Amino acid sequence: MADTHPTNVPAVQINGMNKFYGHFHALKNIHLTVHRGEKVVVCGPSGSGKSTMIRCINRLEEHNSGQITVLGTELNDDVASIDGIRREVGMVFQHFNLFPHMTVLENCVLAPMLVRKTPRAQAEAAAMRYLEKVRIPEQALKYPGQLSGGQQQRVAIARSLCMEPEILLFDEPTSALDPEMISEVLDVMVHLATEGRTMICVTHEMGFARRVADRVIFMDAGEIVEEAPPEMFFQSPSSERTKQFLSQVLGH
Amino acid sequence: MNTLANSAAVAPPGRIRMLRKRYFPTPLQGLVSVVSAGLLALILWKLLNWAFLSAVFGADGSAADCRAAGGACWSVIANRWRIIFFGLYPYAEQWRSALACVAVVAMIVLSCIPSFWRPWRLAAVWIVGTAIYYILMKGGVLGLRYVGEEQWGGLALTLFIFVATCLIGFPLSIVLALLRRSNLPVISRGTGLLIDAVRSLPLLAILFAFAVVVPFMLPGWLQTGKLYRVVFGAGLFFAAYQAEIIRGGLQGVPRGQEEAAMALGIGYWHRVGKILLPQAMRNALPATINQFVIGFKETSLVIVVGFFEILASGNAAYGTGEWTFAYREVYAFIALIYFVFTYSLSRYGAYLERRMAISSR
Repeated sequence: MADTHPTNVPAVQINGMNKFYGHFHALKNIHLTVHRGEKVVVCGPSGSGKSTMIRCINRLEEHNSGQITVLGTELNDDVASIDGIRREVGMVFQHFNLFPHMTVLENCVLAPMLVRKTPRAQAEAAAMRYLEKVRIPEQALKYPGQLSGGQQQRVAIARSLCMEPEILLFDEPTSALDPEMISEVLDVMVHLATEGRTMICVTHEMGFARRVADRVIFMDAGEIVEEAPPEMFFQSPSSERTKQFLSQVLGH
Repeated sequence: MNTLANSAAVAPPGRIRMLRKRYFPTPLQGLVSVVSAGLLALILWKLLNWAFLSAVFGADGSAADCRAAGGACWSVIANRWRIIFFGLYPYAEQWRSALACVAVVAMIVLSCIPSFWRPWRLAAVWIVGTAIYYILMKGGVLGLRYVGEEQWGGLALTLFIFVATCLIGFPLSIVLALLRRSNLPVISRGTGLLIDAVRSLPLLAILFAFAVVVPFMLPGWLQTGKLYRVVFGAGLFFAAYQAEIIRGGLQGVPRGQEEAAMALGIGYWHRVGKILLPQAMRNALPATINQFVIGFKETSLVIVVGFFEILASGNAAYGTGEWTFAYREVYAFIALIYFVFTYSLSRYGAYLERRMAISSR
């Protein structure tokens, strides 16, 4: 579906965006442009608003002021345009959120069949292709509850890919995993990063950031504090808060 | 062979030791076991004696024979079963009532089979089943004699009220549960108020209101038969309770499920139909089966607005001079009929739970 959007517009453009929970100012005057094909890693201490920010991009959270434009379409209360954007923006969640009452294959073909009206045979063929890509085709007929955490997260990635999204959002995809399963998920993500899709990843995996990110964004207390290519970000961060965070994350 | 011989040699002492440990661990507990077993045996013997050994069976047994035998008088059932099953339905037409019962039971059984759980299949089963029942019971077409609703009765009426209550109440309960979750406060509060209002009234009051009061408030073209108003009232009552059960089931579905579906661009109706409700119904299954069992038993309350469902027909069955002494047998028989239906329902519920457990997390 990449052809439906003019390639000269950025994938995501956020201008002066604010988000409140009651009186709590969760996101403060966010400005961010992500170009097509760019890989952006968002990091920061917990509660800094990084998850909230990427959840605003597919409107799982509503922003209170400012503008968010995704692939040239502004997010507003128009339900149809939101559903249109969600079709092009895949998301991988911390807790996988696979549908437990459906097999892996059914999880993968559900949205293409319902939303894109893809015929079942074609949707299943595509699903098997993506399940092979995440190296889990042999589990297609199992239920999510029968898989390990790492396997579930790889299925969740395949499920997102089945909609062939232009943009992929990752919301702490490895935070709920046992340590020995983190690398199998990261391997898949590294492989995806070579394919030209726009990726925005909220993660604490600094090794991943170093390897694949075009740009690293550091958030603290609802603000974007620092924005830099990974070499510069890790070697010579400009803000004290970034230095402190990096020493905590990389220190041991 | 070897293992077989071994197990035969070892098993009996093991079993005896286990029984001794379980029922005779101390002399006092052993005494309790013996006394309880004796009481149980006595009760079973009395029951057996009453129900079978000294009982009079068959339509030929008269009231006098029964008194002489001293046991249960099943002759009352053999003589009066038609009243229990068909109530006041005209005698010559009762085969229609029987066929209608078969149609309803077939409809219930078919809609319980998972491969029928497609919207159009269920709709077809229900429309055809209801049409057959209605044409058979009411007549007036296809050369069948017209029989008004006031003459319907017995098991045929009980099944009609139960099925109609469920067909109205269950879809309505889903609608109410979804409205209650609405983001618009007017709708969610309003629905909450309606549910609470219906739940705070006794079913008897609702049945009375729909039978007696509602006709004064409806315009002429909405005036339907009393039976349909009463069934609608029962359906509304069922829906109010079932809506809360479904709401509880929906609350048990993690928020991430709906978010994942939203993130895939799946629209509201598909999210509800494919993601939320299937999981909510699984959570709500035990309570739902419970509600259906209650719904079946509560059909007996329509007696207060003048309908002769199975329990009321039972009263009529022994209420004639000759058989007044045989009320125990009639009630035991009706209890058995209730048991057959409600026990089937709960076994079906257990089957569904096993079936769903296969794909649970």
